[in-house]
Amino acid sequence: MKNGKRTLFIIAFLLIPVLHLLIFSYVPIIGNFVVSFTNWKGFGDLEFIGLRNYKKLFTNTEYIAMFKNCGWYLLAAIPQLVFAFLLAVVINGKFRGLNVFKGILILPYLLNGVIVSTIFIIFFQNSGSLNTILGMLHLDVFQHKWLQDLKIVNPAIASISIWRYYGMNFIMFFGALQAIPPELYEAALLDGCTKWQEIRYISIPFIRKVLFINIILSISGSIQVFEIPYIMLNGSNGTLTPVIQIQQSMYDNRVGFAAALSVLVFLIVMIVITLQKILVKEED
Amino acid sequence: MIYESTLYKVLRYVILVLACVFVLIPLIPLVFMAFKTGAEYSATSVLTPPSNFFNFYNFSYAIRVGKLGKAFLNTAIILVISLFFQIVFTSMVAYVLHRFDFVGRKVVKTLFTLTMFIPVVATQTLIFRMMYAAKLINTMWSVVLLYSGVGIVGIYIMLNQLDTISKEIDEAAWIDGAGFFYTFFRIIFPLMRPACTTLLIINGIGLYNDFYIPNLYLNSDVQTFTVALYKFYGSMSTPFEIVSAAIIIGMIPIIIIFLFLQKYIYNGLAAGSVKM
Repeated sequence: MKNGKRTLFIIAFLLIPVLHLLIFSYVPIIGNFVVSFTNWKGFGDLEFIGLRNYKKLFTNTEYIAMFKNCGWYLLAAIPQLVFAFLLAVVINGKFRGLNVFKGILILPYLLNGVIVSTIFIIFFQNSGSLNTILGMLHLDVFQHKWLQDLKIVNPAIASISIWRYYGMNFIMFFGALQAIPPELYEAALLDGCTKWQEIRYISIPFIRKVLFINIILSISGSIQVFEIPYIMLNGSNGTLTPVIQIQQSMYDNRVGFAAALSVLVFLIVMIVITLQKILVKEED
Repeated sequence: MIYESTLYKVLRYVILVLACVFVLIPLIPLVFMAFKTGAEYSATSVLTPPSNFFNFYNFSYAIRVGKLGKAFLNTAIILVISLFFQIVFTSMVAYVLHRFDFVGRKVVKTLFTLTMFIPVVATQTLIFRMMYAAKLINTMWSVVLLYSGVGIVGIYIMLNQLDTISKEIDEAAWIDGAGFFYTFFRIIFPLMRPACTTLLIINGIGLYNDFYIPNLYLNSDVQTFTVALYKFYGSMSTPFEIVSAAIIIGMIPIIIIFLFLQKYIYNGLAAGSVKM
């Protein structure tokens, strides 16, 4: 009797969440593989066209360019991680104003894509803050039409992700530093360790795993860039990214093509995270 | 604590102050702009403060024309329903996985864990067709439905909490004749409140800020706050000083959370990430 009730309870608790998971995660991802080999328009029968969708992705220069654009976001992740790490190290301690700094420093991470985009339209527009500040410093040579110049627009908007996301890395680094056992610091103190040695021999080794997770997150994030180029420029001026293209193809009823691109994004994310798991396991 | 030299102390403040300048410089012109009149906006530089910081015309205009009140209400409804389901379902799944050993337990856990490999953006192609077939496009229910799932980070936060709640509590309740459902909802769930609060805040911020899903599914009169801001801003006819005021209104809930619930954000985000 008790066993029957137990089984019933387990099923009752798992049924809806597991069904949700299957319908909204697994069915669409598996379905994408099937649909990506067709030219389905979202209605009517499936007509298989082999690898034609994938071929388009790998040969059309417009589509290759959007993967190159992701490279700029990946590049921006380097200063982003360095900046976040530096801040986590210096804020890890007790000093006056700690909470004020902690508050201000995570603010950008809490703002949504529309807010961030508007802030940076004001920053980058032709008579915006950046050009005004450059003018004030007599650095007119560096003034640009940041959002129109095709050579500069991608690095310019990719750099926004430094401002927007360093807070996330910072919180993770800070959490990892706080988790270092206090005995280590005490031992270091007894050994007459300096602050610099503490950072070099305690902080850095201890956050290696978290640093690694952050690098992986940056890679998988850069392939999924959507909000900033979509909201600021609607993917125009050569700022197209794979996810913007997926959405546009969906709206144009090119479902087969959107599915192929989704499969590609999924595979890249999957490979990167799998790599992380393998490497972390090896280290342990 | 390690002895910190004066040089290090000074250097720390220099780095932190510079970082704050880096954060605030792009934000300041937005605040200035929201208080400027149209004429003032076109005549002055973006870095010039407004002549009158009590000029609230842009704010009232933004609320009226952008229909921000209605969008805010939509967001609130979506958030309350979705977060309710998220928290109840997440705690239920975590409880079953933590306390019971059953056939298929590993499979269920693996299914949830593997979702970290599946980016949301790569699943919407077919979900969009499903929503279309179910006639849910342009209704709140499409978004609520997508938001009501159980995420792996939430499960980990709840599992950590359950580690701290003794299994003897459940067993004592069962011996006293309490059923499984009663034991969970009346005894264990209330003890999981700290984890629920963390999840509520972390996911609450995430959903409030989400743009991709509502923008995809809500295109006409039902809009969330982020989509309303976007539409407002996308129409080139809207003067920029009005958009700035609307943006500042959109930041208010975040500023409030940020002032009062900072501790949870730090703890929650760190807890979720370390588990990955």
